Amino acid sequence: MIPHDILTLYSAKMLEYGIAVLFLLLFIPFWRYVQGPASAPALATARSRVPVTRAAEWFLTPADRFFHRGHAWLMGGDDGLVTVGLDDFAAKLVGPLSRLSLPAVGASVGQGEQAWRMTAADGRSVDMLSPVDGTVVELNPALAASPDLAERDPYGEGWLMKVRPSRLRANRINLMAGRAVHRWMEEAAAGLRGHFAPGLGALAQDGGAPVAGMARALDPEGWDRLAATLLLTAEEGSDA
Amino acid sequence: MSSPTTAPAVPARSWASEKLFLGMSFWEYLKSLATPGNFLAGLIMAIGVPLIAYRFIFGLGASTNLSQTNPWGIWIGFDMLSGVALAAGGYTLATSVYIFGLEKYHPVVRPAVLTGFLGYLFAVLGLMADLGRPWNLPVPIFFSWGGPSVMFEIAWCVVLYLTVLGMEFLPPVFEWLGWPKARMWAVRMTIGLTVFGVMLSTLHQSSLGGLFLMAPTKLHPLWYSPFIPAYFFISSIAAGLSMVIVESALSHRAFESRIDHKTDISGIALGLARGASIVLFAYFFVKLQGVADGGRWALLATPYGYWFLVEMLGFILLPSMLFAYGARHSNVTLVRWTAAWTVLGIIVNRLNVSVIAMNWNVPDRYFPSAIEVMVSITLVTIGVSTFRWIVNRMPVLNELPEYRDSASH
Repeated sequence: MIPHDILTLYSAKMLEYGIAVLFLLLFIPFWRYVQGPASAPALATARSRVPVTRAAEWFLTPADRFFHRGHAWLMGGDDGLVTVGLDDFAAKLVGPLSRLSLPAVGASVGQGEQAWRMTAADGRSVDMLSPVDGTVVELNPALAASPDLAERDPYGEGWLMKVRPSRLRANRINLMAGRAVHRWMEEAAAGLRGHFAPGLGALAQDGGAPVAGMARALDPEGWDRLAATLLLTAEEGSDA
Repeated sequence: MSSPTTAPAVPARSWASEKLFLGMSFWEYLKSLATPGNFLAGLIMAIGVPLIAYRFIFGLGASTNLSQTNPWGIWIGFDMLSGVALAAGGYTLATSVYIFGLEKYHPVVRPAVLTGFLGYLFAVLGLMADLGRPWNLPVPIFFSWGGPSVMFEIAWCVVLYLTVLGMEFLPPVFEWLGWPKARMWAVRMTIGLTVFGVMLSTLHQSSLGGLFLMAPTKLHPLWYSPFIPAYFFISSIAAGLSMVIVESALSHRAFESRIDHKTDISGIALGLARGASIVLFAYFFVKLQGVADGGRWALLATPYGYWFLVEMLGFILLPSMLFAYGARHSNVTLVRWTAAWTVLGIIVNRLNVSVIAMNWNVPDRYFPSAIEVMVSITLVTIGVSTFRWIVNRMPVLNELPEYRDSASH
């Protein structure tokens, strides 16, 4: 072997080692990127301490949830899915449910689009909006037997469905968390006060707790339209 | 006088009607076959089957453009090499679920195993068409062992693995037939069959690449490498994962009435995309290492080099990145299109190695004859039709309620 061949050999080996090292160096960030949370990291919140505040003295708003203006919440999970439910406001507004019509597993839901329907004991129903874009992958099986669970425990056992989000980062813009939730809920409560009829007397202004089925208490005849207005699903042209 | 009896509202269906004709009478079933898809498949078979007969009657010389210089054409490059690589979903998914316990992927194991079984079966049928004397096939397998030959090992592995895949698919067959005891025994064999299957697949997926170690002067230096068995094995994993993504997406469209709607098929596709992304990323660097090891950098600036770069960048690195992006951002549509692109890339790679970059420096270049192309299309069509026939009858995409709570496999 002539001397310059040895040098050539060394440079070739150096290149091979270089490629191997480059691969390992790139592999680590690549792995982290690929294995990264499928849900937007913005949704990751510390679960160890989840304070529950009572907005406007009435409505519970757990700090680990993201809220949509249609009064639905969502919470990110480690499996890339988000859990969706209705908030305390919607639960108290509509009251006891006789039926809950959820989208089928595999169906697509869109943020701000009608996603499920709540039917009260008197047979009237109110639609609600999805807080997220995605595909429904699981429904809460407990709701089939007792749909009123969604009203009794909206942030716990009464969750509605799990959704695989398709554009969570974009959806996140339209969701509220932290102090914004508190302010928004106070506005919602103020909006509700605006519907108090003088004839109802001091339903809650005195500091009392809201009753289950507030909408019906406020407007027995047209409560479903009132609820739809507050839950942003009233059809245009209909009055509440 | 006999007492009046009421006839059953729904007459009992015959076994053939229930199991074979989808609950219809024979004539109803025949009428239901009149669909555009079936018409196209029938047309292809009407042309292709006589051509297969022509090849066996008049021989390879009359029906192919194969020669002493180019003995391997698309029946090897496409039907055999690509078919076996794309059938790798069977061992990849079975290992993931039964060995590594990734239960999330359980709903796609059966279609993956069926795809694997049919992929191998039709690869072997393609091989039968390619072999000059297919009736001599048992000789090297059973009677005249050539221990040092790679071909001998591949022959045995493919025979055994085809058998293993057939046995792995027995549980749905027995469920379809309504034989619970036989099914129970078939289910008990699952772990053993899976372990045996992954051993055989590791051996022959790499050995198919090993075949080309004997042709260092015939295969273009950019594709020839001592690492070629590793290339074939690693790429088969990406091929298998991509094929399962594509197949499950198509199945969920085509067999809407038979799918289990509780299955999170999008989540499964995203998980498989993560795996495929990592595998393709590693595959790219291993291939790059081969170029460095052979000192082939200068060849990249030649027409063959450009084509090699198309394969490396367009069919390996690009899908790796697209899979990663799609998985991270839960973009299932992107993942599915990327999987289809990767499947195409694997076919391109196998054709590059066996046909396009083979004998690149001789004047007598091979181009497949119309009969070769038509026979390959016909075999794929028969394979897809067989898949449809089975999925429409057996519990492949769904679980039968009576077996749902038992150990399902």
